[in-house]
Amino acid sequence: MWMKIRRKQPFFQIFLWLYALVSVYPLIWMLFYSFKDNNEIFVTNPFGFPKKLRFENYVSAMTEFNVPKYFLNSVFVSVVTVIGTIAIALLFAYAVARMRFRGKTLAQMYIVIGMFVPVQVIMIPLAILVRDFNLTNTYWSLILPYIAFNVSFSTMVFYGFFRSVPFDLEEAACIDGANIYQTFYRIMLPLVTPAIATMVIFVFLAAWNEFPIALMLISDEDLKTLPLGLLFFQGQFTTDWGAMGAAMTIASLPTVLVYILFSEQVEKAMTVGSAVKG
Amino acid sequence: MNKFLGNKIAITLFIAPALLLFTVLVFWPIVQVFYRSMFEWDGLTEGTFIFLDNYKRMFEDSLFYTSLYNGLIFAVILAVLQISIGTVLALTVSDGLIKGRKILRISYFIPVVLSITVVCQLWLAMYNGEYGLINKIFEALGLSYRQDWLTDSKTAIFAIALVNAWQYMGYHFALLLAAARSIPEQYMEAAKIDGAERWKAHWKVTIPLMAETYKFCLVLAITGGLNAFANMYIMTGGGPGTSTYTLTYMMYRSAFRVGEFGYGSASAAFLVIECLIVTFAINRLIARDRIVY
Amino acid sequence: MKKAMSILLSSVLMFSLAACGGGNDANESADTPANGGEEQTTTLRIYAQYSDEDTKGYYDYAVAELAKEMPNVKLDLEVQAQDDGQKLKSYAATGNLPDIFNAGQDQINLFRKSNNILQLDEYAKKANFEEKMQPSALNTLYSDDQHIYAFPYAGNEFVLLYYNKELFEQNNVKVPTTKEELVTAIQTFQSKGITPMSVFAKEKWITTALYDIFATRYEPKGIKGLDTGETKPSDEAYTKAAQDLIDLVKAGMLPKGVTNLNYDQAAALFHEGKAAMFVNGQWEVEASTKALGDKAGYMYYPAPTAELYEQNKLAFSGGGSPGGFAVSANTKHKDLAAEVASFMALKYAEFKYTQKGSPIVATQVDKEAEKEFDPMMVTLSEDIPNITSTTAFAWGLSNAKFKAAIEDASQNLLVDGYSAEQFISDLESALK
Repeated sequence: MWMKIRRKQPFFQIFLWLYALVSVYPLIWMLFYSFKDNNEIFVTNPFGFPKKLRFENYVSAMTEFNVPKYFLNSVFVSVVTVIGTIAIALLFAYAVARMRFRGKTLAQMYIVIGMFVPVQVIMIPLAILVRDFNLTNTYWSLILPYIAFNVSFSTMVFYGFFRSVPFDLEEAACIDGANIYQTFYRIMLPLVTPAIATMVIFVFLAAWNEFPIALMLISDEDLKTLPLGLLFFQGQFTTDWGAMGAAMTIASLPTVLVYILFSEQVEKAMTVGSAVKG
Repeated sequence: MNKFLGNKIAITLFIAPALLLFTVLVFWPIVQVFYRSMFEWDGLTEGTFIFLDNYKRMFEDSLFYTSLYNGLIFAVILAVLQISIGTVLALTVSDGLIKGRKILRISYFIPVVLSITVVCQLWLAMYNGEYGLINKIFEALGLSYRQDWLTDSKTAIFAIALVNAWQYMGYHFALLLAAARSIPEQYMEAAKIDGAERWKAHWKVTIPLMAETYKFCLVLAITGGLNAFANMYIMTGGGPGTSTYTLTYMMYRSAFRVGEFGYGSASAAFLVIECLIVTFAINRLIARDRIVY
Repeated sequence: MKKAMSILLSSVLMFSLAACGGGNDANESADTPANGGEEQTTTLRIYAQYSDEDTKGYYDYAVAELAKEMPNVKLDLEVQAQDDGQKLKSYAATGNLPDIFNAGQDQINLFRKSNNILQLDEYAKKANFEEKMQPSALNTLYSDDQHIYAFPYAGNEFVLLYYNKELFEQNNVKVPTTKEELVTAIQTFQSKGITPMSVFAKEKWITTALYDIFATRYEPKGIKGLDTGETKPSDEAYTKAAQDLIDLVKAGMLPKGVTNLNYDQAAALFHEGKAAMFVNGQWEVEASTKALGDKAGYMYYPAPTAELYEQNKLAFSGGGSPGGFAVSANTKHKDLAAEVASFMALKYAEFKYTQKGSPIVATQVDKEAEKEFDPMMVTLSEDIPNITSTTAFAWGLSNAKFKAAIEDASQNLLVDGYSAEQFISDLESALK
């Protein structure tokens, strides 16, 4: 059947592939960038293959700060954030979307407020809170705010998905004698796996790339996350862009790999999800 | 059923963790922002209570109107571009008729995966008046027009919005794809017809079924636009002059460059209210009843 | 690398000490041979620039000297972020300021109000800091309340208008002294495909300096006068200067898209002979000499008329302001931190003088310069005693509201659709 479509819509096909190319290009561009010096980046060769492969950029990126340590910190913080966010957002969204109690719309609106707040706004109150809870220079000083910030959007997405599941499912479960916890875990969760898988990626990326909060709240060398490594290259007047590119490549390639591997899981989850429902 | 879905203990257990964490770490600081917006305050000392004077001053500040306008432009561009392109791509990839859909699916999301710094640097290079790729393309096409969008105070905000729209289109794509995949198979069958008919079917059947997803895509795009900060911070520093300021940027300038935390809080408070109103309106406009299959 | 090495070294040391100690672990520290009872090392947190060749050079030099002088002090460096002081501010808000931090005028003003910064008068006396100062740089030691809050090192720096002598000669362009001549120069260079003047106008402090160059031709107090309230934006000088800048931009003085050029891009234009003039602080002497050799020079700023040119020839833009290494008011080691802060400041100046070839420092240096002064630096140091007045860099302005306003407004002057009147009214509303 797709043969027919291809013949009929060549322009659409071209558009799809062109758009894909434009989407992937920055990845290639970043790789090139990380091998160049400032002059090549800005003046002589901003877009093409580097004229000379400057591995020294990677050397300085690797030696300037403790890449493996920052990397492990990033992994730890991001993974715990993902687990925490998804778990509490699922519970909350399920209760608000399908259970019966007064004020649930209000509760949902309340949590959504978190989406509107640029983190710069609440940075100082947040820093004071972290100090008052004695969390300064612990992993929790990053993880808890990350969860709190990501819970809004995750809740909203899960809410949407829970709302579109047929309501008679719970009735059936109830008649079968399952309790609410079993229903949630065994019946509802599998139905929203596509959403869960998608949000895992979203939250992971948000935590992985987060800069302002980490800059503000972490000063202990042992706890720093990867984005803070960029600090070592950005001077008051000049910036070593090539080394910064190398650091960014080191920081982003894992996320690209994680995404490629994980999106396969998303796809599988989706197939399972729609099969159950259909 | 009422007892089943109205189980008080379960409800408490389900909503307490999120409410608690959110209230302490996000809501409480917001309350402080509103409270502090009524102070003349440098962020460190006691400060003086001046009630609504910050707001009065803000409504007379031309920077406030520039920021407001830019936020709206940003929001509209994001909403229109991200959702329309996201829809077309998501529906195409989801219907399983396209060859190489796996590669396409992965590609469309790549810009989201990269950090915003990388993407902004790339587009700075693209927009560059002298060495930029966009001008080279114009040249190759034989057009005499040369863009200088980022450094023109009238076009800069559009140029930046385009970058953000492009980078985070993948979010909407992924969300819409997940939604499309959650639609039961029999409804998608209808959309498996050919050509223009297929899009008509999507319009009539698939898209309405995804209303809930559209609701949060819209909220995401619009509030993301009103809140925009990082893109201008990296690409223009709010410039040329003040032409790419947004409310968040205005807050940043007041709080950190000028040291007027109270005044900055006023623009932040305004921003929060603005976003609340928009979200409320979206929730009203898009049917909020559950979809009945 | 250095850090990793030092960690490695110190852990090796620790290990060998432990090994020597053998059985009597308990009194180990008392036993180890040391100079007196001050054996215990103290670690101080320091917040300083450490992000490019330049700033790393200063810091590493000072730390190496510190290790010789005060081996019992260890510094724990936090790299200063380019974040408009956000991080320091939230440190202050949470009472977590590093023991020593690099502070500019704005931090000093803010932190002294909130009692976060240690007043250093006594400590400066103890360290004889004032006697070590260059008399001409005392303005960088005392804040406007006549107290000391930071140990300065930078000295009075200047905004210079650099030019490529060879390009001027090759194209038969007279080094401009008046606006008219500058316009002629612009036209000639343009017709030859050479960028007349390169400026990294993405940074707003340099656009402020560029405006100040023109403002000081009419009113030597420049932007500093506005900052201190000695002059008003409505004074004729400021409108005229804005108009001059607008006219010159219209004439094509700056490259296209100048407000998006960063230092690396703008400097490349000048260093590669693609731009005839360049604006930067005097610290650019080193880089420009390296790139252009004796082709690089600086000119006195062109003025609207020949008369004003002569009159204000040595009224420079730029200047020093209080700033340098400051000490947190909440540090546990006030004496030691102050001592280290003053030491670091002295060593920064020493490095600048001996290694960077710059006589422009805050304190007197008694060591010989290891690098010969670049010719431009020699000329400049001959000019310095004759300088009639200076102003300030954007970061040296004390009125933060005015500073933000002139930074935004001066960048706006470089793009279409912004008039001198708007410029003045924007400044006025910030100074209200």
